[in-house]
Amino acid sequence: MGEFKVHRVRFFDYMPSAIRSMAFNSHTERLAVARADGAVEIFNFADNYFQEKVIAGRDGRSIEALCWVGCRLFSAGLDGEITEYDLENLRPRYSIEAYGGPIWTISGNSEGTLLAAGCEDGTVKMFEVLEDRIQFQRNLSRQKGRIISLSWHPSGAQIAAGMMDMIRIFDSETGHATHRLLVDRGVGASKSREVVVWSVAFLNDHTIISGDSAGKVQIWDGLTGTLIRTHLVTKWDVLVLAVSQDESSVIAGTSEGTIVQFQFISSTVGQQDKLWVRTRTFKNHSHDVRALVHTDSAVISGGMDTQLVVRPLLDKVEKNTQESALRKIAFPHRNLVSCAKKAGLLLFQFPDHLELWRLGESDRNGTPGESLPVNRKPEKLIQLKTKGEDHICCSALSPCGSWLSYATVAAVRLYRLQISSNNISIQKVSKLPRELKSVHQLCFSSDSCRLFASSSFSSVVVVALNQTDCKYLHTLKHKSGSRQPIHILSPSEDGQWLATANTDCEIHVFNLRKMKLHCSVPAYSSCPTAVSIHPTTGNLVSVHADQQIFEFSLKQKEYSEWSRQLQRQGLHPLWLQRDTPVTSISFNPNNPAHIMLHDVFMFCIIDQSLPLPEAKTKFYNQMILRSLPQPQRLRESHAFKTCKNFQHLLSVNLLEDLSLVVVERPLVDIVAQLPAPVRQKKFAT
Amino acid sequence: MMSLPWDPTERDNMANKQRGEGTSVEKKAENKKGADDFNLALDSSDDEAPEEVTFEDSKARAVESLKLALDTARREKELLKEKRRKRQEFFQEQKKKKLLSADLLEEIDSVPSKKQKQAEDKDEEEEKKKRKTKKPTGVRNLKGSYTVSTVTDRGQSDYQRQAAEDFIQSRLYGPGSCRSSNNEMLSLQNKTRADKSAAVQFVKKDWACKEKAKAEKLKKRWIHKQQILTS
Repeated sequence: MGEFKVHRVRFFDYMPSAIRSMAFNSHTERLAVARADGAVEIFNFADNYFQEKVIAGRDGRSIEALCWVGCRLFSAGLDGEITEYDLENLRPRYSIEAYGGPIWTISGNSEGTLLAAGCEDGTVKMFEVLEDRIQFQRNLSRQKGRIISLSWHPSGAQIAAGMMDMIRIFDSETGHATHRLLVDRGVGASKSREVVVWSVAFLNDHTIISGDSAGKVQIWDGLTGTLIRTHLVTKWDVLVLAVSQDESSVIAGTSEGTIVQFQFISSTVGQQDKLWVRTRTFKNHSHDVRALVHTDSAVISGGMDTQLVVRPLLDKVEKNTQESALRKIAFPHRNLVSCAKKAGLLLFQFPDHLELWRLGESDRNGTPGESLPVNRKPEKLIQLKTKGEDHICCSALSPCGSWLSYATVAAVRLYRLQISSNNISIQKVSKLPRELKSVHQLCFSSDSCRLFASSSFSSVVVVALNQTDCKYLHTLKHKSGSRQPIHILSPSEDGQWLATANTDCEIHVFNLRKMKLHCSVPAYSSCPTAVSIHPTTGNLVSVHADQQIFEFSLKQKEYSEWSRQLQRQGLHPLWLQRDTPVTSISFNPNNPAHIMLHDVFMFCIIDQSLPLPEAKTKFYNQMILRSLPQPQRLRESHAFKTCKNFQHLLSVNLLEDLSLVVVERPLVDIVAQLPAPVRQKKFAT
Repeated sequence: MMSLPWDPTERDNMANKQRGEGTSVEKKAENKKGADDFNLALDSSDDEAPEEVTFEDSKARAVESLKLALDTARREKELLKEKRRKRQEFFQEQKKKKLLSADLLEEIDSVPSKKQKQAEDKDEEEEKKKRKTKKPTGVRNLKGSYTVSTVTDRGQSDYQRQAAEDFIQSRLYGPGSCRSSNNEMLSLQNKTRADKSAAVQFVKKDWACKEKAKAEKLKKRWIHKQQILTS
């Protein structure tokens, strides 16, 4: 496997933002997640929960609610605007001011023709969904006090609105309030405090379910406006409710981090009269649960602890399968770190700034596992704050460390760096070509004289860089007709090829000498999560969201023999069961048979010269191999060598001097910076 | 634009109506006056026999008045008709204008696609100009020394947003919300785990650096004080 000197980097203070709202589109199986910094992420649940798209946020944009109308995504927030997103260009398409103060909630009716927005000033505003935009239609009768939550009756004839101390039911035809359901305040000291109805759900049989700040889940009869039952769930707030598609189950998320399930079942077996009964409690979060989605087979939750948790309901899925495993998605499925391999520099991407660090140095050698003393400590060279309100969507550092580039929704910026031992200068390149706009991904060529930028309609803009200026060269296009954004750019070491992958699962390879499409890799059903071209053999290695690995020969334009053998034999079950995608592939120049991959929890070297592991053989066998004598060791060893010494990996890079850079972000460090959790009493502590 | 030429006619109409009413009142007054005159005449010469009015005469007069009334009615109708006709014409004209303008727009649209390059060049030039002048965005120059700019006063909405954020903050983290700290939570986890360990601040060396430094300083001071006391 080889030994490496490792730079164990733990100074990347990456801090994910809290999940504020979620919306699930059951037709396309896409989950939209809104974060507190205004970013929106799209996860593909049909493809191993892969994070397909990220739309960067903006200062001051705080999203309170998300809503799918067909395949269109809308959000609303405390800035008082309703925004529709352009999911092909990864940017907000337009924003419409609702003129009702901060918006707390939006909800679309089941036909997808109307959007209702609940505002701070007490109005429910109806917007008509037109083909290319939305248009204000009318207000429902104005109430005193803010509208916190909304829910349409499936027929679209009525809307329930959660407010302070009460729930109102509106007739959506006339716009008049027909019922007023008074919600009890909490007992004791909180009696004087208004109760906030954080969430309501209006069911088809006119049952209304509400969750409020007094910790109650209440079930009301919407026809008569009477309370049927109260469940006291928590001492804190019930922040969010979600209903399953068939309306037989409701889940409630609380400040404690628990999720409580209620099911509509008969209390004794065989009887007809059904009741809402509290059934299960899940605790997968340490902090407040602020967003919930109830799919047919799973509970999806997110909250202040920034993790997205998918908890399959064990009565709906087969036991002990991949499907029944709990999933926690804590880290993004893309790289936030770029590494200058030649200069030993690291660039960290934060939402509103970039940090450039120089790695430390040590001139000593030690035995494996030993930590070496550092001569020179790592130091932060530059902290670059973005101009304007838009957050950074991608960034790149050239391998030689003399160029730095980042892009926001609005603009691309390119800087020239000059770093000597004690002198650092940064200079903005003022005149960029016009073609560099609406960029989703940036990448420098290995000789640092080309900048590649993926642009709209899956095209790639090639820009030539030299000492004095930068010049537009060409736009690379393919003919598949896909308009989805490119999420991976990977140039080859020799500067001849550029591989691109988009979220339509297509991989295209361009010839950079001729500036045209060389070939397209046969489409595979799962989205590629990492793509790289081998420096010597010229094979393209791709890893997909379902953990499959392919090797494609660019010369023969077909899958390589190794790849075919891998497909015939199949990957080891333990490899397939991993739940985080491989986010980068690199190669060892000293040993061309080695492919280095990493995901969040492991770092792996695949030795193509060794036999592939059978399904029955032990996958993690390095410890056993070490104890075996040499000839037996050769017989027992297989291609996959995994290393789990480093956890919560954000990036693994091999520098030019063959030392590894491992960027870790321990979860405890993230938890330490989160807002306060609730105080819980544990017995005997 | 639509209602502008239309409005005055309506107003005219109303004015006409009022005027019409006015005339009728005047007429009534005249009639009264006539009657008064007649009375006076009666008073002055009561022995004179009343004027003879033949049946034909009166009939002729009645017919005439009827004719007059019919005439006026017809005239009014005609006037109304003409007005309607005019309005119809106006609408049609307006429609034509609109159609024409759409055609024009299409033409205008189609032109730059042919000569996009030029337009782009122009755009570039414009951009350059913009850069040179460094005007704030959303400002447009008019003829003369006037500028029109959008009002970017977001003070009100910012204030509202802040208030809303404060509301959530106070609800979730304000007084009475019973919150502890992450340190406490993690330490509790450590204590109740199967493999027990100490509180986080002792396990993790870089936790709470400031507090530790302060404690260290206080400790030194305390030791120093003790030494002074004993010596």
